[in-house]
Amino acid sequence: MENRFKDRPLEYDYSVTKLFMWATIVLGIVGMLVGVIIAWELAFPAVNTMFGSAIAEYTNFSRLRPLHTNAVAYGFTLSGVWASWYYIGQRVLKVSMAESKFLMFIGKAHFYIYAVAVVGVVVSLLLGYTTSKEYAELEWPMDIGIVVIWVLWGISIAGLIGIRREKAIYISIWYFIATFLAIAMLYIFNDMEIPTYFASGGIGNWFHSVSMYSGSNDAMVQWWFGHNAVAFVFTTPIIALIYYFLPKESGQAVYSYKLSLLSFWGLMFVYLWAGGHHVLYSTVPDWVQTMGSVFSIVLILPSWGSAINMLLTMKGEWQQVASSPLIKFMVLGSTFYMFSTLEGPVQAIKSVNAIAHFTDWIVGHVHDGVLGWVAFMIIAALYHMAPRVFKREIYSKSLMSTQFWIQTLGIVLYFTSMWIAGITQGMMWRAHDEFGNLAYSFIDTVTVLHPYYTLRAIGGTLYLIGFIMFAYNIFKTMSARPVEEDELVNASPMGA
Amino acid sequence: MFHWLEKHPFFFSVLVFAVVAFAGLIEIVPSFAQQSRPVIGTKPYTTLQLTGRQVYIKNGCNTCHSQLIRPFKSETDRYGHYSVSGEYAYDRPFLWGSKRTGPDLMRVGNYRTTDWHENHMKDPASVVPGSLMPKYTWLYKNVADVDTAYAEQLTVQRFFDVPYNKPLPMKDGSKETVKLAATLAGARAEALADAKLITANMKDQDVKDMVKEGKIPEIVALIAYLNSLK
Amino acid sequence: MNKIYLWGVIITAVMLGFTYMSVLGSKGGLNGDIINILTVAAAAALVIITIFVVIKYVRQMQVDTATGELAEESWDGIGEYKNNVPFGWAIIFLGTMVWATWYFVIGYPVNAFSQIGQYNEEVAVQNKKFEAKYASITGDRLVEMGESVFLAECAVCHGISADGNDGAAANLNQRLEVKTVKHVIEHGSKNNLLYAGSEMPDRNGLMNANKNYAPITDAEIDTVASYVANGMTGPGADVFAGVCSSCHGTDGKGIDGVAPNIAEFTPAFVVNILNHGKKGVIGTMPKLDKLNKKQKEAVGAYVTSLSK
Ligand code: HEC
Ligand code: HEC
Ligand code: HEC
Ligand code: HEM
Ligand code: HEM
Ligand SMILES: [Ca+2]
Ligand SMILES: [Ca+2]
Ligand SMILES: [Cu+2]
Repeated sequence: MENRFKDRPLEYDYSVTKLFMWATIVLGIVGMLVGVIIAWELAFPAVNTMFGSAIAEYTNFSRLRPLHTNAVAYGFTLSGVWASWYYIGQRVLKVSMAESKFLMFIGKAHFYIYAVAVVGVVVSLLLGYTTSKEYAELEWPMDIGIVVIWVLWGISIAGLIGIRREKAIYISIWYFIATFLAIAMLYIFNDMEIPTYFASGGIGNWFHSVSMYSGSNDAMVQWWFGHNAVAFVFTTPIIALIYYFLPKESGQAVYSYKLSLLSFWGLMFVYLWAGGHHVLYSTVPDWVQTMGSVFSIVLILPSWGSAINMLLTMKGEWQQVASSPLIKFMVLGSTFYMFSTLEGPVQAIKSVNAIAHFTDWIVGHVHDGVLGWVAFMIIAALYHMAPRVFKREIYSKSLMSTQFWIQTLGIVLYFTSMWIAGITQGMMWRAHDEFGNLAYSFIDTVTVLHPYYTLRAIGGTLYLIGFIMFAYNIFKTMSARPVEEDELVNASPMGA
Repeated sequence: MFHWLEKHPFFFSVLVFAVVAFAGLIEIVPSFAQQSRPVIGTKPYTTLQLTGRQVYIKNGCNTCHSQLIRPFKSETDRYGHYSVSGEYAYDRPFLWGSKRTGPDLMRVGNYRTTDWHENHMKDPASVVPGSLMPKYTWLYKNVADVDTAYAEQLTVQRFFDVPYNKPLPMKDGSKETVKLAATLAGARAEALADAKLITANMKDQDVKDMVKEGKIPEIVALIAYLNSLK
Repeated sequence: MNKIYLWGVIITAVMLGFTYMSVLGSKGGLNGDIINILTVAAAAALVIITIFVVIKYVRQMQVDTATGELAEESWDGIGEYKNNVPFGWAIIFLGTMVWATWYFVIGYPVNAFSQIGQYNEEVAVQNKKFEAKYASITGDRLVEMGESVFLAECAVCHGISADGNDGAAANLNQRLEVKTVKHVIEHGSKNNLLYAGSEMPDRNGLMNANKNYAPITDAEIDTVASYVANGMTGPGADVFAGVCSSCHGTDGKGIDGVAPNIAEFTPAFVVNILNHGKKGVIGTMPKLDKLNKKQKEAVGAYVTSLSK
């Protein structure tokens, strides 16, 4: 099959990729800047009013936190995933977007409607329009926008696959398909809500809605969604990225097809069971909780399968890891993926969760995954795509290398501080004194955290600085370098 | 088989969907069937309380505060009786939260009072030195949106049979009825009457003046909600 | 030893050191609490396993070479080896799947675990432990226990030094403040301070026996209020004798079943407030049902000790 087109190389069209690359960078900066602000707010509450008491309503921790999570998850991460999809999709399916006006239109519509929705999301969250459900804060009019965007992406997947020249679909495509399907299902069920304005015959605010589920049921649906939103936004599409970019950049073949296969189907089967670990010791049925714990342990294996497969792909290639900061991002990314997919199951053990739940250790776990794995992979993806999309070598390798070390230091500060903070606070909450009374008032358990919150804020600030260096590097790449004439194959060319 | 699937993306997708949907079907559907029934003593929210609940959500209090007391002695000592499923029967959405930057609030109405909240929400660190909770000064000026809360009450009464205007059994054997006004004007009037009861225990003159003029500041609604958490 | 192992050991040591620190950071330490111990053990295992597994693969990057038979297909130049899955991984995956299935079908249903049952046991054990202990806590030890309750439960309102936190709650270093006494005289008191339903009349019900039972005047209210708030000293003794002593006793120490002690705190008085709450000119103090009997007694003793 492949040979049919050998004499006529395809001209891939990266215009949609480019758009999403910009979105990735802009939303990355916005999302992480907000993250840094809220981190400093927890360390020094005066930061809540730093921008003036008059607008503190919009800049205080509780208003900004959902903006942070939405901006990084659905802004930064999804943009990175989509930039990569419009890149990888064409290349591994052997079709060009330029071949289909229709798909080109869909791709552009996908981006522009998304851009409008982003503005809508930012404004509505700042104004406090939220349903309060984590990672599903948006009110119903926004939900409709999201569905439209998702359907457009679906059409683009189906369309590209439909006109593909490569008969068998590559591993990355498996994961993109899974991401699309799972989120579609989860999002729709979790966001079942009734707009009160219409239901009450025109009273009150038109975009307010009320959840179809109540209490424990609502919680169960929410965390079935929430857990898998993590799985299918922060995990599966990122695996899609690494399965393409690591072998491609290093020029190595994937270590084992069988391992890819078992990890994929294992992950699909096991992931959805594990949501119960977010509601341990709550009022949802005991058995749902227990299944959550048990399957979280099982989940280590399919998760580690992908990571091991990637590490083994680099077998014998240490000199590449040592010399290329781009590959370092991906190797450390796999490592953090392994770390957070072992940390998660540990926290899912009921007795451990008794301490870890509600504390900063969870926040630490989250950022091991998102900073070390998700964001590192997206950064690596953009670095790999930039020379090929802009046809120029990467502006500066040493800048990239410095960025890598600054961000790695940032992550280390982030997770060690939250690790200590979480375990400390969890144990202090439980402590009883010699008389059998609670040993600490709540505020005692807050003030001890101050140094750790400060360290975390410093770590986060370092990470953001690294990200800005990245933005600069990409910007310079597209503007300051001469055009590369040759088709770039593996290792990305980098200036000093 | 898998190799075949990889060449037939449609069937591949169908199988992925089936595998992914499977766990949800097994776990969620049966648990849903045994609907969460209210325990005795659980009442639906009044208009003012529900308005306050919306203020709570709008201001993201759930980003720092949980409303779920787990069955551990250390938690029941600190916050009171562990949570029971039926107590949440009228909570749409649920507000368990997932991070306790601040303490649990599931039963805060039992051990904090109107005047305390009034001082605390205005400047938490002045009441509890070292607190890192933001100052919610705007709540003392913004007018609360009672209409939307009323719309929500009508909606849940209509779609989920939430028992407004019906006598409900209480723990002490008595019956209580949560009234739901027939008209928007009636709902506003009831909320205002409740607001006056709250402001009687408050000191802020601007807040008192607003209520006198018939406007309910967000803080008053929020306190009504916090006091209802028991 | 290879450098990389050395790094592994260092990182592990640092992480475990941090974990150790966080345990120390919580005053109680492990405290024999099985949950604490499990958590720390799990945290340690987490670090050790990740680091050494990753080192294993890094070693392979350093010394091994990629081998294997390539599959026919390649995507955008990416090939795939037909290597077998790593044996250890496959075995553990299979093992955990079998274990999960067993748990689902047999393990869980047979075990009949209930989190509320677990809670009841935990509480029973604790209660047993402390019931024995409580009997022997008296005197200074009781005050000490009371202080610990006070810091955990009361300091949020009354302040750490019990000074009322700038007027947000009652200053417990003195029995009464002027504004409270004034308010009570003017408006009466219905706080169940003595027994459920105990009431003091407002100013219309307070007559001065020395002045032919004339209603109490504004001036008299002022003087007697400062008299009481100053610990029953200074001017105003005559008004007190005329208006108040019939109920509160000549020394203000109260009369059983008639009126409470307003000269000083007594543990019983404080316990009554904790049982019923108190609404006054400063604000409202909630009743605190979450405290047990001994805790109330202890904090009563502590509050009483403050103004002594
Ligand atoms: C940045 C985190 C944060 C946010 C956001 C926050 N709080 Fe708090 N809250 C705290 C902390 C920390 C404490 C404990 C110290 C104190 O009492 O101030 C606390 C304490 C409280 C208490 C006292 C509970 C008790 O048992 O002592 C109440 C009530 C409360 N908050 C209500 C709210 C409400 C209502 C909102 C939203 C409008 C809110 N909080 C938002 C952090 C927060
Ligand atoms: C008719 C009997 C009676 C008379 C006369 C009386 N009291 Fe009282 N007083 C009570 C009772 C009964 C209570 C407890 C009320 C309650 O349970 O809230 C009380 C409570 C108080 C309290 C509240 C204690 C606290 O901690 O809040 C103060 C202060 C007080 N009295 C001062 C006075 C003063 C000063 C006078 C004279 C001017 C006076 N009382 C005259 C019966 C009386
Ligand atoms: C939510 C806030 C709050 C908490 C918690 C609280 N108090 Fe109070 N307390 C008050 C307020 C406000 C008053 C003053 C009421 C008044 O007279 O206006 C008060 C009054 C009192 C009084 C009466 C003082 C007097 O002279 O009449 C005592 C005694 C007291 N508190 C003890 C305690 C103890 C002991 C605890 C903890 C175990 C506690 N309080 C917890 C708010 C609180
Ligand atoms: C084997 C895989 C994993 C398991 C079993 C797992 C398990 C857990 C557990 C037990 C919690 C804490 C729930 C609580 O007590 O509140 C949690 C929270 C979380 N995890 Fe993981 N985790 C895994 C992998 C990951 C990865 C790879 C990421 C991201 C890249 C991630 C992101 C998150 C997030 C965002 C939360 C916070 C959810 C919230 O808002 O409460 N997890 N996970
Ligand atoms: C510059 C770096 C970042 C900083 C300083 C930062 C800081 C924070 C802070 C302070 C919180 C709130 C924690 C709390 O409530 O106690 C948070 C939550 C969160 N952040 Fe970040 N963040 C950063 C980057 C990211 C990135 C890149 C992602 C995802 C790609 C991310 C995803 C999340 C998620 C999912 C949560 C919610 C966690 C939970 O609810 O448990 N963050 N972050
Ligand atoms: Ca929604
Ligand atoms: Ca959370
Ligand atoms: Cu999860």
